[in-house]
Amino acid sequence: MKQYFDTIVSGIEAKIAADPMEKTPRKLYALEISRLGHRLYSGEGVAWCGIVAPFDLLSAMGVTSCFVEFIGAMLASTGIAGEFLEEAEHIGFTSDICGYHRSIMGAANKGAMPEPDCLIATTTPCSGGVAVMENLARHFKKKLFVLNIPRQMSKSSVAYLAGQIRQMAGFVAAHTGKPLDEERLKEAVIKTNEARAVLEEVYELASSVPSPVNSRMLANFGIVITLLLGTDAAVTVTKAFRDDFAQKVATKTGGVPNEKTRLLWIQNRIQFKNPLVDMLEKQFGAVVVIDELNSITWDAIDPDDPYTGMAERAISIPFNGDGSRRIENLKKLAKKYKVDGAINPCNWGCRQGSGARGLISEGLKEIGVPVLNLEVDCVDTRSFSEGQLRTRIEAFVEMLG
Amino acid sequence: MKNKEKIGFMCAYTPLALIDAAGYAPYRILPSEACEDRAGHLLHDNLCPNIKKILDRALAGDVPDLAGVVFVNSCDAMRRLADAWQHVRKDDRIIWIDLPSSIDAMAHAYVQGQVEQMGRTLLSWSGSPMDPMAVEKSITSFNRICAHLSELAPAFASGAIPGGYAAMQALYNKASTRDFTTTLEEIEPMPGKTPAPKHDAVPVYLFGNVLPDPKAFDMFESCGAMIADADFCTGSRLFSPVTGGQKDVYSRLTSHLMTKPQCARSFDPALPGEIAKTTLSRARAVNAAGVIGHVIKFCDPYLERLPGIREHFKKNNMPLLILEGDCTLRSMGQQRTRIEAFIEMLM
Ligand code: SF4
Ligand code: SF4
Repeated sequence: MKQYFDTIVSGIEAKIAADPMEKTPRKLYALEISRLGHRLYSGEGVAWCGIVAPFDLLSAMGVTSCFVEFIGAMLASTGIAGEFLEEAEHIGFTSDICGYHRSIMGAANKGAMPEPDCLIATTTPCSGGVAVMENLARHFKKKLFVLNIPRQMSKSSVAYLAGQIRQMAGFVAAHTGKPLDEERLKEAVIKTNEARAVLEEVYELASSVPSPVNSRMLANFGIVITLLLGTDAAVTVTKAFRDDFAQKVATKTGGVPNEKTRLLWIQNRIQFKNPLVDMLEKQFGAVVVIDELNSITWDAIDPDDPYTGMAERAISIPFNGDGSRRIENLKKLAKKYKVDGAINPCNWGCRQGSGARGLISEGLKEIGVPVLNLEVDCVDTRSFSEGQLRTRIEAFVEMLG
Repeated sequence: MKNKEKIGFMCAYTPLALIDAAGYAPYRILPSEACEDRAGHLLHDNLCPNIKKILDRALAGDVPDLAGVVFVNSCDAMRRLADAWQHVRKDDRIIWIDLPSSIDAMAHAYVQGQVEQMGRTLLSWSGSPMDPMAVEKSITSFNRICAHLSELAPAFASGAIPGGYAAMQALYNKASTRDFTTTLEEIEPMPGKTPAPKHDAVPVYLFGNVLPDPKAFDMFESCGAMIADADFCTGSRLFSPVTGGQKDVYSRLTSHLMTKPQCARSFDPALPGEIAKTTLSRARAVNAAGVIGHVIKFCDPYLERLPGIREHFKKNNMPLLILEGDCTLRSMGQQRTRIEAFIEMLM
């Protein structure tokens, strides 16, 4: 993987040096994410984390951190997850478990996951995510800290989580030898807020008709960009998207020419290469204009009280708490982006997500947005039945008119 | 005595004494095979069958009148059940216990807040005044139930009291679905019998999550097992006594939730994979010749920990058989040959 990230970094850097026009937002984004990948695999001061860990705080400490599911997605997108999934099954992980987690355990067992200095689990979004962190801590014989994310926002729940984040900083310092400098944390929070403000513009622009995005541009974006929060990279990348979108919106240039149908993608993208999104665009002019996690559910963080703001941010993610909160967020997005329909891949093995399938469909139906529920393992190609999925998607988009 | 109103619950982390103290009967909504399979439509087929079968009961109208329902934030499946429950039974009043996965002083303070809130809510429903003495009394009754059940289990398992472990499981089921007084009235007069050694059966330790069907235990025994001890959330795990010397009853109940025998969803981050060691030492403590893990399909907290458990047992030469079930005896029946072969191997 290290070589993979290195090749992407040097490739994009060379292209941009040769032709500044190559500096597209998606390339800048890929560059920064690959730089992070490079650091992760260079093996110094690394913390493997759960999805809602405060990455800006960890950055301020000089600790390279990443949620482990990112590695599962990378393995799938590069087409090498198969051998790790098989390894996981070989060591006893059933294929009923989320593919992200299986591929990570397989990779760890095959020595393809860098050894961390410590680990930070987050109890949101899923029970499987906490278990995989416990397994990794056992595998690497490294210390684990658990951030218990309360299910609801209240004064006491925020204070509880804020206290845990504060404690976590001490834990990370003890295991990486990198103490937290409160001034650097303040600076990181200011950068987080700057990126947050630009992100709001990005999402506002993306909701225009026609949308400046195509179906791939902001795939996985809302969740992955959190890895860059607190750094200049997040500001650079978000600004690049904003400027590109602003120019497209001003000239009414769609990300896909002749956008006919607008779609909302619920939760996980299918991480391995597959023709479905291309088919949607080419055959039907149907564009995924919004992904569920491409929205901001938290307020700017007070640099003088960062722990409270970070706690509120983690509690606010739509996968946390009651399903009704998630459904309200989906409805809001569906209306804002004027979507005609929604696709829910229902990642096999994701109880958190697929268990909400029926209520999500009913909720969106109430506002006239039909949902296509699929049966896909978003990481494992072995159960991918392209023909069947094509037929179902075709029928759905035709029905949308 | 007038029948008490019921408070529904589904998770072994529910503080039953608090329900009793507020004047209600705790009523565990157990999964049932009797209702039509319909929950998969609202949830997903890949959710734990315990949860689906509980929802099937709600969909079929097979749940008695409830004064309210307590949900514990125990796992993804339970969270999704809570969503679906509120959709199907819109009028039910809900109490949440937001239970952290790991245990420390900060978590204690947070959970105590939840337990106190639960007490306040129950009392506001019942119209009773807040009375720590009533909670203390209920804790005592609960502990009496736990003590009797833990004495009865080996007596049933060894055949000293007829009925086998199936009768014990039937008692657990009754004790989790009715008020404390009725339970005590039934179990206190039961004879205290010294477990007799069973020379014709192999001592086996059982563990897992949900296994309420008494017939399942009959099956283990008919395959030649003597159930030396069993750790399920539908059995002894629900009935572990409230210990601790804190004066404050809420603090005691909180310590209880955080330290009682744990389901795989709770763990100590300082000791990753400890569930394997705990399970092995409990099996060794009762001189089990082998261990059978019965885990509900699609239960992430267990499925993700099983490889570690297998590895640890292998290293320590303790025979282990893992069964995946779906809360029906049909699925258990299919495993009969494996169970028989396992017990034979232990002989
Ligand atoms: S897909 Fe679901 S189970 Fe898998 S990591 Fe994401 S939230 Fe967790
Ligand atoms: S059996 Fe597992 S998944 Fe089902 S409710 Fe219990 S802990 Fe959750």
